[in-house]
Amino acid sequence: MKIPSLDRGVRCLAKHSATLAFPCRLVAGFCFVGVAAAGAQSNASSFKKLSIQELMDVEITSVSRQVEKLNEAASAVQVVSGNDIRRSGATSFAEALRLAPNLQVAQVNASQWAISARGFNNVLANKLLVLVDGRTVYTPLYAGVYWDVQDSLMEDIDRIEVISGPGGTLWGANAVNGVINLISKSSADTQGLFAEAAFGSELERTGAIRYGGEIASNLHYRVYAKSTERDSTLSLDGSDAGDDWTMNQGGFRMDWDTTEADLLTLQGDLYQARPNPDGATAVHARGQNLLGRWTHRSSEKSDLQLQGYYDHTWRDFRNGFTEALTTWDFDGQHRFPLGDRHEIIWGLGARLMQHKVTNLELFRFEPARRDLSLYSAFIQDEVTLIEDRLHVIVGSKVEHNDFTGYEVQPSARIAWTPTDRQTVWAAVSRAVRTPARIDQDFVLKITPEIGLISGSHDFQSEKLLAEELGWRVQPSDTLSASLSVFYNRYYDLRTAEPGPPPFNLPITFGNGVEGWTAGAELALTWQCQPWWKIRGGYTRLKKDLSIKPGSQDLNNGTVESDDPENQIVLQSSLDLPCHISVDTVFRYMDRLPAPHVPSYIEADLNIAWRPVDQWEISVTGQNLLDARHPEFAPASPEPREVERGYYVKAGFRW
Amino acid sequence: MVAASHHRSRGCHRPRLWWALALFCLQSFTYAATAPSKEYALKAAFLFNFIQFVDWPDSAFPDPKAPFRIGVLGDDPFGGALEDITHGEEIKGRPLVIVRAQEITALADCQLVFFGKSENRRRALLQQLESHPVLTVGERDGFTRQGGVISFYTEGKKVRFEINPAAARRAGLKISSELLGLGKLTPDDRAKGDD
Repeated sequence: MKIPSLDRGVRCLAKHSATLAFPCRLVAGFCFVGVAAAGAQSNASSFKKLSIQELMDVEITSVSRQVEKLNEAASAVQVVSGNDIRRSGATSFAEALRLAPNLQVAQVNASQWAISARGFNNVLANKLLVLVDGRTVYTPLYAGVYWDVQDSLMEDIDRIEVISGPGGTLWGANAVNGVINLISKSSADTQGLFAEAAFGSELERTGAIRYGGEIASNLHYRVYAKSTERDSTLSLDGSDAGDDWTMNQGGFRMDWDTTEADLLTLQGDLYQARPNPDGATAVHARGQNLLGRWTHRSSEKSDLQLQGYYDHTWRDFRNGFTEALTTWDFDGQHRFPLGDRHEIIWGLGARLMQHKVTNLELFRFEPARRDLSLYSAFIQDEVTLIEDRLHVIVGSKVEHNDFTGYEVQPSARIAWTPTDRQTVWAAVSRAVRTPARIDQDFVLKITPEIGLISGSHDFQSEKLLAEELGWRVQPSDTLSASLSVFYNRYYDLRTAEPGPPPFNLPITFGNGVEGWTAGAELALTWQCQPWWKIRGGYTRLKKDLSIKPGSQDLNNGTVESDDPENQIVLQSSLDLPCHISVDTVFRYMDRLPAPHVPSYIEADLNIAWRPVDQWEISVTGQNLLDARHPEFAPASPEPREVERGYYVKAGFRW
Repeated sequence: MVAASHHRSRGCHRPRLWWALALFCLQSFTYAATAPSKEYALKAAFLFNFIQFVDWPDSAFPDPKAPFRIGVLGDDPFGGALEDITHGEEIKGRPLVIVRAQEITALADCQLVFFGKSENRRRALLQQLESHPVLTVGERDGFTRQGGVISFYTEGKKVRFEINPAAARRAGLKISSELLGLGKLTPDDRAKGDD
């Protein structure tokens, strides 16, 4: 009855690829340094000599393979684990992102968030690429993310990877200042029943249920549903802003290990939300998506992945202006070693976005319907100069979009690993933010004859040339730290240019701002005791933008952004006796210059008790240090203040 | 950089091209033998250690010279790691033998049975094995609660294990206090009354 062990080894590799699947691209690009070394360590007989106590100190690869390789990764990537998220008491995707110290996250009102990396934060922030299990979450309306429809079952999040810095070479346009990658658990890891319910002041009500089962030993699934109602924020005078937000979402995921080396994943979501940012008429938004992915992993260094997805979003912005977007995306990538020294990864992608709005008389996108296609190809070579010590990674993406034609986004990285516990890296990259429909097709009129704002077909891509330097170090088994510094030069950033005299109308969009940002990101994780973990970081940002000769930017060269110079995030996770855990998250956010928002310090506290394995009861306080505080002051709608909030939650698993 | 302002959709011929390329690459793949994952190499070493911290009654073996049999039920995640670890080793004069099977009946003479993740009938099987001198080891949530003796779990990036002492007692196994001290002790469903 002995089964050849060779296939079995490949099988467990394929199982890991459930979680390695799409992040592969991230890992492929940035974290390949040192994969060879990992293979050598897997030798079972080396563990034979260890005592059982020593075995308990060995770190495994499996799910956290990337995390382990972070130490050697040649980019400013930071990972927030699902456990960190659950323990923090975060109740939405956006709240979870507050835990990444290299992101600027500001709650604008009950449903809207301003989220960016390395500056240029705004409600309509457009320099960050966000992916949920490999699916780009993006509207070509303004090249940003509707955070009010992005949610998932917090229990099923495996981790969130946040790269600050350009990722255009692998990820393409809009990965200018960073990439956020939400990765959910494989359905094999979410088996059984899970249900939770919470009641509180700001998070008024939420209920979630998930069931995971097994159709065959290699075919797992889960289905889930979640419903959330959130209370409104406050107007500046302290009155209720009436901007409460409800969201309902459901979905499924299936993972099928068809053979030892192949994994098929099929997943989809369906949601409906009623955010109400201006507190008057609720926005109505709904959407659905379906994604299929095939990963074939033939060895540690070689794999192929094909992925396709369909994503439909629909949104009624009040007053009859609606947006419908259907995206079809196909993407393939292949990684293989070439000789002893090269590891190549290349890929091709095609995306069709059918974007359609119903125009108002004075607020229009011309034409109302536009089919946008995007074709891309990338190749990257990781060259081993000295085994396990010195690597060079060079590559580029070439993309063709309907607005500006071809765009090239090359990068070069070098990673030096002088000892097993530290890596020094440097990188030079070019990235672009290609135009969105708002840049070229938008028309806002005062009367049917007189335009106020008009997009411009001369609007070009915004461009970035980034230089980065980083250091990752693990001084001991319990402490790891990373530092990255960057100097970004931006060209052709968006400006609002006055029109022809006498009234200087319509205002058009131009590319009249250039300038630089520079900053540093420090992150650390310290397991100071087996029962006490501290993680967090400090981020500093300096920005100097100027208006190019010939531009008369009405935004005074701010690129409509408002960024803090300093910010600190700290999370303390304590395991106390009697199955009690206490987590505290502190956030310091420096003042925002214009429009002015004062600096603030806030704290969240989550106390959870797990009397038996099946039950967990928790009490959470959010934004505890002030009764209310503002985090961002958008031009529209009215600025709001976030209130202190409490909720109690009960969770059950079987 | 600005090639043109407007390119309408150009039809779907390009995807076909890369699909063909991708298939070509797939065919050119070679299947390489791979080492077992670090996680299961580590778990194999744990299993080998467990054996040394547990005393089996004589009734667990058909005769004094019978080998010590480790059974793997369901899909084997270890690759060759169990063989690597146990190669050339003896336990109290008994050679070690690894047995793999999809059915528990084929593992009836094993002293240790590892339940792979693929094994989903574990509750019924554990009941079947109850009060047999078998050290049952699993790695899924709830394994010890359902009557398994030892279950692996991960904490951060490290492998941990929990022990159900009541289940060990029922099986007639004596677990050393040292091992009990290293694992997390859990009650099982039916032991709630007497623990």
